[in-house]
Amino acid sequence: MRQFTGQRAWLMQRLSALALLAAAAALAGFLLAAGPPDYHTWAAFARHPLGGTLILAVAAALCLHGWVGARDVALDYIHRPWLRLAVLALAASALGLVFLRVLLALARVF
Amino acid sequence: MARAAAASRRKAVSAVGGRLDPARLPRFLNLFAIRFPVGALVSIGHRISGVCLLLFVPWAPDLLSRSLRGQAEYDALAAALRSPWAEPLVFVFLWAFCFHLLAGIRHLLMDAGLGARLRTARASARIVLALALLAALALLIAWRAA
Repeated sequence: MRQFTGQRAWLMQRLSALALLAAAAALAGFLLAAGPPDYHTWAAFARHPLGGTLILAVAAALCLHGWVGARDVALDYIHRPWLRLAVLALAASALGLVFLRVLLALARVF
Repeated sequence: MARAAAASRRKAVSAVGGRLDPARLPRFLNLFAIRFPVGALVSIGHRISGVCLLLFVPWAPDLLSRSLRGQAEYDALAAALRSPWAEPLVFVFLWAFCFHLLAGIRHLLMDAGLGARLRTARASARIVLALALLAALALLIAWRAA
């Protein structure tokens, strides 16, 4: 769990931010060039090994980034120990579940 | 409120012959009466927009799996997201996304030592505040047209 606190969390927040920034830039580029995708374009992208991996990587970066942010906010503003622990546990399990459900959604179409 | 704070601060100063008496300084924690410097607005806005975005994240897997469940489901989802009911939520999402992204880029640039001087930091903070709103509005218009 040491990976998820302290200086490593700080570093992970920056690295995941850069990954999400790259994903947002790629998405913006695609939308500007080709407009919103229709179902077949989108499904073909998600089924492709590379597309699926990219979606999964974005989900991982999003969950890690969300975790560090939620943790920072909870540690700064929630002072009652039991409430802080409850919020941190809720954030961690919700984000973990999000990643698993993305994995399942991709596995179903792969 | 500001005048009351200044008056009570004067009282605290004069009470100990010109020196500040910490015990008599006003406790002034009404956030709505404090005038935030523009950098502080961007800082707290970064957090607020981050929490907003976090609240959207649990919906993402559902949107993903529904969008991949077939043509009909994809079209229904696209129509639902463009309905007038969804529009306020879409706007909140777009604003939070634009603000968090721009404030985050500003933050990363400062980590790299760029734009950390007060004058440029204030200028970039104003740019983030204005540009996030403009970009969110532009994206909302594009969303409606798409």
